Amino acid sequence: MNIRAISGLLLAGALAAGAAVAEAPDPVDVQSVAVTETAPSRRPNIVLILADDLGYTDLASYGSEINTPTLSALAQSGVSFTNYHTAPNCAPARAMLLTGVDAHLAGVPNIPEMLAPEQRRHAHYQGVLGNNVVTVATLLEDTGYHTYMAGKWHLGSTPEKLPSQRGFQRTVALADSGADNWEQRPYIPLYDKANWYADGEEYTLPDDFYSSRFLVDKTIEFIDSNLGDEQPFFAYLPFQAVHIPVQAPQAFIDPYMGVYDGGWDVLRENRLSRAVELGIVPEGAATVRMSTTADWQALDEERRRYEAKRMAVYAGMVEAMDFHIGRLVDYLKARGEYGNTLFIFTSDNGAEASGPADPDEFAERRMSTSLGYTTDYETLGLKGSYSTISPSFASAAASPLAYYKFYAGEGGMRVPLIVAGETLPQKGVLSRAFSFVTDITPTILSFAGVRPPDERYGGRPVEPMIGRSLAPVLLTDAERVYGPEDTVGYELAGHAALFKGDYKIVYNRSPLGDDRWQLFNIVEDPGESRDLASNRPGRFQQMLSAYERYTRDNMVLPIPPGYDHRKQLVLNTLYAGVREPFLVLILLVLLLLPFYVANRMKKASIHRTIR
Amino acid sequence: MNRVLKLLVLLLSILFLVTGLRWLVAPAGVAPQFGLTLDHGVGLSSQVGDMSAFFLLLGICMLTALVSGRRSWYYPPIILLSLTAVGRILAWLLHDAALAVDLIAPEIIVSVILLVASRRLPERD
Repeated sequence: MNIRAISGLLLAGALAAGAAVAEAPDPVDVQSVAVTETAPSRRPNIVLILADDLGYTDLASYGSEINTPTLSALAQSGVSFTNYHTAPNCAPARAMLLTGVDAHLAGVPNIPEMLAPEQRRHAHYQGVLGNNVVTVATLLEDTGYHTYMAGKWHLGSTPEKLPSQRGFQRTVALADSGADNWEQRPYIPLYDKANWYADGEEYTLPDDFYSSRFLVDKTIEFIDSNLGDEQPFFAYLPFQAVHIPVQAPQAFIDPYMGVYDGGWDVLRENRLSRAVELGIVPEGAATVRMSTTADWQALDEERRRYEAKRMAVYAGMVEAMDFHIGRLVDYLKARGEYGNTLFIFTSDNGAEASGPADPDEFAERRMSTSLGYTTDYETLGLKGSYSTISPSFASAAASPLAYYKFYAGEGGMRVPLIVAGETLPQKGVLSRAFSFVTDITPTILSFAGVRPPDERYGGRPVEPMIGRSLAPVLLTDAERVYGPEDTVGYELAGHAALFKGDYKIVYNRSPLGDDRWQLFNIVEDPGESRDLASNRPGRFQQMLSAYERYTRDNMVLPIPPGYDHRKQLVLNTLYAGVREPFLVLILLVLLLLPFYVANRMKKASIHRTIR
Repeated sequence: MNRVLKLLVLLLSILFLVTGLRWLVAPAGVAPQFGLTLDHGVGLSSQVGDMSAFFLLLGICMLTALVSGRRSWYYPPIILLSLTAVGRILAWLLHDAALAVDLIAPEIIVSVILLVASRRLPERD
């Protein structure tokens, strides 16, 4: 361990110890944000890697059959959290990840594409990152870090909301919820084009673009541009993988051909067994079979072959991401920066189940063909092809958890979290400490020696962070950062949860959910198979009351009657598509009307004159 | 022949009106057709104000010419479009702008159509 690494460790340890017992700090302003007195060059580089829609057991070190050697190596050089939770939807998770503030207060209670008009009337329900929060990038930049970002942003696409205005010095960013991985092309009709920006300006992707490779190339380019100046860097690398459209190079797909021929039930069971072996979930963990999981045996051979290929493309996309993360790690090793770099890897939410159960259904074919995509077996996942995984395989990707993306079940909220680095004293350790996405920014700040702002920053009021640094777990023998009485609430589009100790109350809306609160011990029963609400009524009521307080404190709005996030997405897409043409048509008619009337009057006048 | 000419002028006027209204209502969709990236602040104000006024004026003058039967209403759009085409060529010659043949050609063609209309269509009192 080199001197820089040791001093970074000591510094982080000291800060962590302080953070673990800290009372609320005094208000500070930007000028007085605490940078340690240690020379900035001794502070660690930080690489924050975010996968998109990665399921709980999609990594080899969490029980997957997918080959992810780079992330396994990182897991062996740090701590893997098995009880880490995020928001089960993209932008709210990213807002909390980068600010440490609840998504409702940060302005992103849902993705803008799914907000109802009634909700949009409220300033904090715009689905874009508010100016009342400070990003970790801003805090690090203001204290001497180089700050870079390459990947999906999805926290606002207007000039003042782009990452270049939110603390990132160099950026190449996708503003949308997703896009094609092979070319600059939208993936849903909501967008006219894939909106990429570089350093705040519109950006055209290169011809040889493949998302994971390109984003790592840009990250290396950014890091390399300032490497000699002794300042540490913060690199945020939010991959497009494995968001739809699921696409991967053929060489990464090939090893998985045939691997999924046994179907989703076999895969879900295999992953559970492996996760138990690895200690990711407790032995005997029960599971719930989702109602959206189809009967594999009932499918004809052709359909099974196609479904297995869909999952093979997905696996190939995960492995391609891992491969390119490996290139970044190799680069840092070659440049002598690996030893002083802290890596954080996680996913924005659980596995995505929006792919059609039946890929031949009309709506699905219409959607992909209207965008000019093919869905044929031979080219699935390659350039010009549109692939997804069905809810059945998504449930296997989340194995052994229930539900998936968008839902407050563990399959939507519990994802891998690996914190690794040479400086960490714990190697290859599993932590069962409950942790939440709002903890990432405080953790980064504690390692960087930066004190979080309290109520003001840069001369304006800001929302204080609610997350807690995970440094005590990473650096000491501490088993948890949240006490048994601490609560963490969550809500998105009416799906809701509250965590307290080992317990969680959860509300999943219909049609997939059952529109009622349930209580689970998520440590003993991560699969949420045994509802304890009637067995522990006292705890259940306490947690319901705590959830009510959470909604008041975080200005959670009730969902509009009849709201359904998928219908709202379709409605918003239609609205975006027809609103402008309709308005132009109305105004055109209003403009033409006087001319029409004048013309008629003139003709009538001429006729009268002739008669 | 005159009926065809009138119909052509009517369609062109509606096209200009739609373009002007799109600049007012949804400039992001129409700006790229003119090689423009939307600015912000005063820049955006000028882009929306100037471009919408340009196209709405073209459409309104042409419609007024058709309805009133007075050929003098053809002259403002002829002058506007001709000057635009000349301006584009000068931008290419003097300021290293692209030679926007795709835009210059329609401007000249429409100017000629309007000139013909002003000559051929009967003047009404």
